[in-house]
Amino acid sequence: MKFQIPIGPQHPALKEPISLRMTVEGEVIQDADIRLGYNHRGLEKLAEEKTWIQNIYLTERICGICSHSHATCFVQGAEKLMEIVPPKRGLYIRYLVSELERVHSHLLWLGVAGHEAGFDSFFMYTWRDREIVMDLLELISGNRVHYAMNTLGGVRRDIDEGQKAKILEGVAALRKRSEYYFHIGANEPSFVARIAGVGLLTKEQAVSLCAVGPTARASGITRDVRKDDPCAVYDEMDFEVGTADSCDVLGRVVVRVKELLESYKIIEQILHKLSPGDIVVKAPRKAKPNEVVSRYEAPRGENMHYIKSNGTDKPERLKVRAPTLANYPATVAMLKSGFIADIPLIFAAIDPCICCAERTVSLVNARNGEETTVRLSDLRRRAIEQHKNAPPKRNAVWPF
Amino acid sequence: MTDIEIIERLKRDLGPEALEVTNPDRRRIFLKVDPGDLVAAVTLLRDKYDCAYLATISGLDKGETFEILYHFASPAANINVRTEVPKASPHIDSITAVIPGAILYERELQDMFGLVVDRIPDPRPLVVPDDWPAGNFPLRKDWKFERPPEIIPGGKS
Amino acid sequence: MLNKLVRWSRIKSPWILHLNSGACNACDIEIVAALTPRFDVERFGVLLKATPRHADVIIASGPVTRQIKDRIIRIYDQVPDPKFVIAVGACAMSGCVYRGAYNIMGGIDQVIPVNVYVPGCPARPDAILDAVVKLLGKL
Repeated sequence: MKFQIPIGPQHPALKEPISLRMTVEGEVIQDADIRLGYNHRGLEKLAEEKTWIQNIYLTERICGICSHSHATCFVQGAEKLMEIVPPKRGLYIRYLVSELERVHSHLLWLGVAGHEAGFDSFFMYTWRDREIVMDLLELISGNRVHYAMNTLGGVRRDIDEGQKAKILEGVAALRKRSEYYFHIGANEPSFVARIAGVGLLTKEQAVSLCAVGPTARASGITRDVRKDDPCAVYDEMDFEVGTADSCDVLGRVVVRVKELLESYKIIEQILHKLSPGDIVVKAPRKAKPNEVVSRYEAPRGENMHYIKSNGTDKPERLKVRAPTLANYPATVAMLKSGFIADIPLIFAAIDPCICCAERTVSLVNARNGEETTVRLSDLRRRAIEQHKNAPPKRNAVWPF
Repeated sequence: MTDIEIIERLKRDLGPEALEVTNPDRRRIFLKVDPGDLVAAVTLLRDKYDCAYLATISGLDKGETFEILYHFASPAANINVRTEVPKASPHIDSITAVIPGAILYERELQDMFGLVVDRIPDPRPLVVPDDWPAGNFPLRKDWKFERPPEIIPGGKS
Repeated sequence: MLNKLVRWSRIKSPWILHLNSGACNACDIEIVAALTPRFDVERFGVLLKATPRHADVIIASGPVTRQIKDRIIRIYDQVPDPKFVIAVGACAMSGCVYRGAYNIMGGIDQVIPVNVYVPGCPARPDAILDAVVKLLGKL
């Protein structure tokens, strides 16, 4: 008996609208299908009518959580087109804000994963610690989100000794708290058992479906733009790329936790290497006709911008490929042969920054076509109840 | 392998099919082929050059023709393949047989430019809304949009 | 007498529904951050509800795209009277940077009537709290 379940736009748990349509048989999902377009804002057409500087603010607002990644990717490409090289201090400050953004994004995601698995106190703890990072970012740039630090040729604001000391202090406090969370993971077998074995994506599937970011790294593929295609600052830093081999949601949690620790290391290295100097270089108004491919490692995966200029002060074509779009076919592969109860968890595991996904589930009874809406929070509650009474998976082990 | 070595190998392997190979920046290689040789070139890149990862597919409206760019990435360099199709008959072959992950990007090309991708497994529109009038392709240069006037509630219109 | 009791209970615990109509997520993160221990909107009796049929107040963010326009009207109709709408962020007020794009209709007030506007890009959680309190004061 096959049912079709549409998961539609408005969703209680969080964030953006997408529409999924799943064909289910009993509790097992046979097929999944995605309807994008709720968040399609026509950015690429808008970008052709704005100048280079205006486009920085436009690309920043593609996504709220990884806003600095889009702006940095665009500015990297535009600087190559205009053939200017920003000064060292400007580059250090730019990538310092990037790493702070990575920390804030991973803490946010850890909270969301805990919330979807039923672990609400974890959610509250991580979001309280996220406030430390938000305060640091507000200290440096003046806003909690959409920092607007980038400009063509460098950054707009400088950091002084007092701010530097505060950042080091904040990172030390965060490191202590993060290590406490890792011990929670080791001592909470129910949390680990809930997320192990869910959302399997084998290595061959991940390679053929072109997955990116922690989703791919949890299947054993070492793919990180900071190591493969390093720009200015990352080839001087000493850090490792975190991978895991378990190909499921537990692997993705482990990969993000490892990345958090590496980010703290990178932030401290950058702050120790800061030397006095200029932060910005003057940029021309027009760019010569050329094309550039700019890649950057956002917290969710690889962000790619393709920019083509034609000698005027507006770009001819801007093509943006956000990381979550690349993970969609992989998500469909993960959902097949999974359970309905695991839908929220699998979806949260790819860290959707869709800005184009709505999530409500409506059940369509295949026999008489009537529709009943099931809220995703109901699904989550059902999932939590179901897993409370299920036999524990004894062989799920926290790898730290 | 450095950029120069990759370009030499490409010229040797593809022979006359490689119409133009440029290297504008470190680690960026742009290769031009005919639309008919596209699938063969992509298969070669996937098998011999370790380019199983497709980043995205971009389209460009150049007036008389459409230019389509396929952005691949390997650990050694980024290889971008471009082909041109005339606007009068905008047909291109699908590469999903070689790279299954390309399906969403090809659907977006169909929506935004009006290109027809032959043998695509799933031809539904991807990003345009349900009530979008057919035949409107937003990213073409000659498509302009006139915004209807807004009504400001409680204020002067 | 019953009216006074009903009005008192409405002011003391408004239940909200969070609606995202094509936004970039920054305002949504700030709305959820308003629930966390630092800003804590739950001390005003506010509860985040999943379904429109249980909610009193809709907190909407994001510019309205053509695809989601019908769904917003449907959700607005499902909320029982009396209902209030808070538009959070510059996008919900007038479209922010996206004005003029082919898929955007403008702010939320082009589709449903709005009671409170909260400016900012994104609006800080303190500002959202202020908006909720001001709305309760008007009731």
